[in-house]
Amino acid sequence: MPSGNDIEVVNLTKRYDNILAVDNINFEVKKGEIFGFLGPNGAGKTTTTKMLTGQTRPTSGTLTVAGKNMVREPIEAKESIGVVPENSNVYDEMSAWDNLIFAAQLYRVPKVEREKKAKELLELFGLYERRKDRAGVFSQGMKRRLTIAAGLIYKPMLLFLDEPTSGLDVQSSRMIRNLIKDLNRTGVTIFLTTHYIEEADQLCQRIAMINKGKIVALDSPEKLKASVEKHQIIEVSFDQTRNLEQKLSTLKGLEKVVQFGDKFRLHVRSTSEEVPLLSDFASKNNLKIISINTLNPSLEDALVEMTGLSPEIMANEKEQGKKVANVG
Amino acid sequence: MRKNKARRWQTLAKSWADTTIKAFYIALKDARVYYFKAPNFTYGLLIPVSLYLAFSMAGNISSKLIVAGLTSLVMLFGTTSIEAVAVVLEKQTGTLDRLLAAPVSLFTIVLGKALAGFFFGLILAGVVLFPLAAISGLVILNPLLAVVAIAFTSMAFSALGIVASSYAKWVPEAQMISNFLRFPMVFLSGTFVALETYPFQLQVVARFLPLTYSVEALRSSIANSTVTFTYAVDIGVLALFTLMFLALSTVILKKRIA
Repeated sequence: MPSGNDIEVVNLTKRYDNILAVDNINFEVKKGEIFGFLGPNGAGKTTTTKMLTGQTRPTSGTLTVAGKNMVREPIEAKESIGVVPENSNVYDEMSAWDNLIFAAQLYRVPKVEREKKAKELLELFGLYERRKDRAGVFSQGMKRRLTIAAGLIYKPMLLFLDEPTSGLDVQSSRMIRNLIKDLNRTGVTIFLTTHYIEEADQLCQRIAMINKGKIVALDSPEKLKASVEKHQIIEVSFDQTRNLEQKLSTLKGLEKVVQFGDKFRLHVRSTSEEVPLLSDFASKNNLKIISINTLNPSLEDALVEMTGLSPEIMANEKEQGKKVANVG
Repeated sequence: MRKNKARRWQTLAKSWADTTIKAFYIALKDARVYYFKAPNFTYGLLIPVSLYLAFSMAGNISSKLIVAGLTSLVMLFGTTSIEAVAVVLEKQTGTLDRLLAAPVSLFTIVLGKALAGFFFGLILAGVVLFPLAAISGLVILNPLLAVVAIAFTSMAFSALGIVASSYAKWVPEAQMISNFLRFPMVFLSGTFVALETYPFQLQVVARFLPLTYSVEALRSSIANSTVTFTYAVDIGVLALFTLMFLALSTVILKKRIA
């Protein structure tokens, strides 16, 4: 692609009857980049990804994927991409082997090559011993691994991964993250949709945050964090937590207080001025400080700050992701 | 100029070869996932046999009418029953997204699904036509013409099933649409009786139904050793129905996934 971008999205809009799912968004994904696409449920993530992968047509706007116009040349564009959807959509009635072979056949991968690649991928994902078993008898984690393997059967130049680690145990998740890094090192561009903000922070060179169909933040994780570093954070825990959030919010110099489990994160203008005030607060309320730390803003803090989304929504998103992960 | 034309033809031929090969892979997958299971065969045979028994209560039916009628009916019920759910199930399980994200056109997906039903219809018809003819002592004057008629019928009915499946959002809806299309056909297409015995208005209605042409072509191949004008028209109309149903399915599916 002459522009050096693998994805170019210009004024992209998708409307379902009266619902505006994606509202005039613009962004590009550079060749060889790991690009994170974040957003709460219903924000327009899946609709955008479906348009990018040619599964649904945009209402308006231009969509260039792998140098091809996805609306006018969908077959040519899809020949360069691999897609791992959020739901493990392998054929339950077919064996793991047959699922991979069928995926390769749709890309016209020659017989010898597809059999070699299927064997390699099944071994990599620890499924080779079970290759003759129907996918229907696989656990959720095994199906997830098979779905990812199917997305890699044809070596794509651009890989779309929608929640790749959801439904996987810790070990498998780590393996997938390493695989993403390895693929990227070989030049594969990655478009990663994820609930895990930490995952995006670890893997992505740039991220975009979508909310209510609009891109509300777009930059590298470190630049996003730096943009909110004017706020400092103190994380404190006391020997009890009841009604403390409200009481803490009356402290001087405090911009925001958020409770995380038995801890409170205080967004303050100056940590040096706030720590003595916290000590006084503890004495006045007969509280014992268990721990106190100063924190740099996380990517999550930055996104909360920039998007205006409540921390609870962000936390819910994370929890949903974790619940799914624990099932595997 | 000539070179450009040749290149255009080459591109077109390559594109058609690509479509056909990928459609064939989809058909093989569908055959494995949906079709070749014992209950599907029994269902494809059960309803047509029951319908035949219901018709036969009315009086004597010639063996030519029985063989042609039953063969057409098993193809109609066999292919449309499974075809009607083949797309819906892919929508429900999310596997349709796998096909849509792959480098295949909507038409290729529709064609692949129709091909799976086509092969299934061929097998069902083979199971019925030749044994039934042997049992009833009926001589099929031109078996090759009968096979051609079966092939065109099977493809037309298979494509009809996809129309229902592309439109429906869930399996019961697909079955309802499918029944709405095929049951009136059974009674209006002269399946076990000569069409000429119908009132004129019904004869006109019958001319809009693919089952009419299927039954007529099969009867023609049983009674004639050469291609008659009627037979040629029947095959042509079945081919037109196939193209129309495939195009309609593609348009409906495109709207459904938009």
